Amino acid sequence: MMKNRLMDLLKNVSAYTVICLYSIFAIFPLIWLVIISFKSDTQMYNTTFIFTPTLDNYKIVLFEGADYIQAFINNIIVSGGAVLLSLLVGVPAAYAFARYNFAKKEDLAFTILSFKFAPEILVILPLFMIYQKIGLYDTYFGLIWVYQLITLPLLIWVLRGYFEEISVEVEQAANLDGYPWYSVFWKILVPLIKPGLVASSLLAFIFAWNSFTFPLLLSGFQIETVTVAALRYIGSDTVHYGQMAVAAAVAALPEVVLALIIQKHLVRGLSFGAVKG
Amino acid sequence: MAKIELYNITKKFGNITALDNINFEVQDKEFFVLFGPAGAGKTTILKTIAGIEFPDKGEVRINDKNVNMVEPAKRDISMVFENYALYPHLTVYDNIASPMRSPLHKQDEETVKKEVHRVASMMKIDHLLDRLPSQVSNGQRQRTALGRCLVRDPNVFLMDEPIAHLDAKLRHFMRAELKEMQSEFDTTTIYVTHDYMEALSLGDRIAIINEGKILQIGTGDEVYLTPANEFVAKFMGEPEINIFDIELEDETQVKMLGQERSYTIEEDVAEVIKEGEHKNIRIGLRGNDIAFSFNKENEEYIKGQVYSVEPIGNKTILVVDVNGQLLRLIAPNDLQANIDDEIFVRIKMKKAMFFDGDDYKYIYRHNQNELLGVE
Repeated sequence: MMKNRLMDLLKNVSAYTVICLYSIFAIFPLIWLVIISFKSDTQMYNTTFIFTPTLDNYKIVLFEGADYIQAFINNIIVSGGAVLLSLLVGVPAAYAFARYNFAKKEDLAFTILSFKFAPEILVILPLFMIYQKIGLYDTYFGLIWVYQLITLPLLIWVLRGYFEEISVEVEQAANLDGYPWYSVFWKILVPLIKPGLVASSLLAFIFAWNSFTFPLLLSGFQIETVTVAALRYIGSDTVHYGQMAVAAAVAALPEVVLALIIQKHLVRGLSFGAVKG
Repeated sequence: MAKIELYNITKKFGNITALDNINFEVQDKEFFVLFGPAGAGKTTILKTIAGIEFPDKGEVRINDKNVNMVEPAKRDISMVFENYALYPHLTVYDNIASPMRSPLHKQDEETVKKEVHRVASMMKIDHLLDRLPSQVSNGQRQRTALGRCLVRDPNVFLMDEPIAHLDAKLRHFMRAELKEMQSEFDTTTIYVTHDYMEALSLGDRIAIINEGKILQIGTGDEVYLTPANEFVAKFMGEPEINIFDIELEDETQVKMLGQERSYTIEEDVAEVIKEGEHKNIRIGLRGNDIAFSFNKENEEYIKGQVYSVEPIGNKTILVVDVNGQLLRLIAPNDLQANIDDEIFVRIKMKKAMFFDGDDYKYIYRHNQNELLGVE
C-alpha cells in the first residue's frame, strides 16, 4: 500500500518535472523575445532581466519610419488570398481524389504532396527568372500563386481523408431525396468536412504567414511581408534587436490568437480524418 | 405509381461483369423481390434503376419512358440503402424530413412535422427524433433510413435489404408491417433480400439472381415448387434441398441410393423425361419430402444412420447418412435420436423434383400444373 503510493508520487513528480523542463525549453525563446522588445538599444547587451522597460521600440516600429503596418496588411492579403485560392482549388481536387478513379491518380496525389518536400531554396532560382519574365515578380498574385506550394498539398491531403470517410451512398441518398448536386455539396458535404476544413485552412494560413524565402526573393519593395520586413532592422552599422523583436512579436500575434480560438478543432480536425473506420 | 422495365442491362466494373443482360418488367403497384446471394448484382440493379449507376448497355424505362438520361433526383424514386446512408450531422427527425425539404419535394414545415411523426411512430422511433444517427443502434438507424424512404410518395420504392440488420423479432414484425404498408401505399416496390423467407412472404413475384444473371422470375410458389435449376432450388428453403443422382432403368423405373430394388417415378414425370431425352437424371427432395421411421415399416423404407441432430426450436433438422449420401430432413422438435442410431427413410416420389444431370436444369415434377394452379 505504502509502496504503491510512493510509486504514484514518484511518477507524478517525474512527469511534472519533464513537463516543466519542456515548457521552459519551448516558451523561453518567446519570453526572451518579449523581454527584449521592451529594452532600449543601450541596455540590449548589458542587462538580462533587470532593465528600464520602454515602449520606444513599439513606437518606432508601428508608427514611425518603415511601413511595418503595410507589410502586415500585405501579409494578410497574400496569406489569406493563398488560403482562399487553395480552398477554391483544393476542395474539388480533394473530392476528385477521394471519389473518382482516373489514370495515375496516386502518382498525381503524390506529386502534389511532394511540393512540400522540396526545399524552397531549390526551386526559387528558376521561379525567380520565370516570375521576372512573365511579370509576376513583386505582385500580390505572384506570391499567392507560389504560396500554393505551401498551402495546397496540406489542404488536399487532409480533406481527401475527410471525403473518403463519407460514404458515397450518403451523397446518392441526398440526390434521390431531390437535392441538386450543389445543395448536396453545401448541405451534406460541407458540414461533414468542416472540422478538417477549418483545421487545415488555419494551418495552411500559418505556414503561408511564416513563409520567408518566397517573399524575400519573389517580391521587391512593392509587396513586402512581415517576415521580410523584420530584416530591415538589421542596419549597416548595428542590429536593432529591440525593434526586430517587436516586429516578430506583432507578426506572431494573429497566429497565436487564431490557434487559441480553434485549438480544439485543430487537434481533432487533423487527427480525425486520418483514421479510417 | 409506375411500371419499371429493364431491357438488356449490362454493367461492367473493370473486368468484372456485374450485370449480364438483365431483362425484367415490374408492374404498377407490384411488390417485386430481387433475391440472390451476396455479390449477385442485386444492389447494382437497384442503383441502375435509381440512376446512380449507369448501365454500359441497355435501357431503363419508367412508365414506358426511357430514363437513361434522366438524373436520379428527377426520377422520383425513393431508396433505402443497405448501409443506411443517413446524414451523420442531422438528427433522426431532420433525416426523415430531408426529402420533404428538398427543392423538388418541398412541403411546408407543418406538413413535414406531421409526416415525420407519422412515419416515426410507424417505425417505432418516435422517442429518438432528437438524436443523431451515431447515437442510435443499428436497427434504429435502419428504421430511420426506412422512414426517410417511406415519407414520400414516389414512383417506386427501392429497398436494399431494409430489415436485414434488425433483430429477429423486430424483423418478423417489420416484415408483416411492410407487407401491410405496401397494400396501403399502392406503390411499386422493388425489394432486395438474401433471406428466402422475406422473399417468399413479401414478393408478388421474385427474381432470383446469381453472378449478374437472372435465373428465374416467378411467384413464390413457382420458384419454390418449380425452381429453374439446382441453384435456385438450393437457395430457396431451409434446410437445403437434397439433390442426388438416380439411375434410369427403363421409362418408369429408377434405382437410387445404392439400393437393390427399383422405384417407380410418376407417369407424367416419366413422360416428360422421355420426351426431353434426358439421359442423366437427378432428383430433388425438400426436407419435408422424405419420411423417416426408426422401424422398417415396409419395403420402401431405406436403412441409414443418424448423422446429426440439430434442434432449431419448433423443428429439428435431422441429417441421415444413406450409403454415403447425406439427406437433410425436417423432424418434429421432440425427436429423440442419437448419432449413429439406425433409421429408415422413405422417399416421397410424388413430391420429388427432377433435374437434368448434365446442365442441372429443372425438368418436371408430379402434378406440376395442378400445384401451380395453371391449366
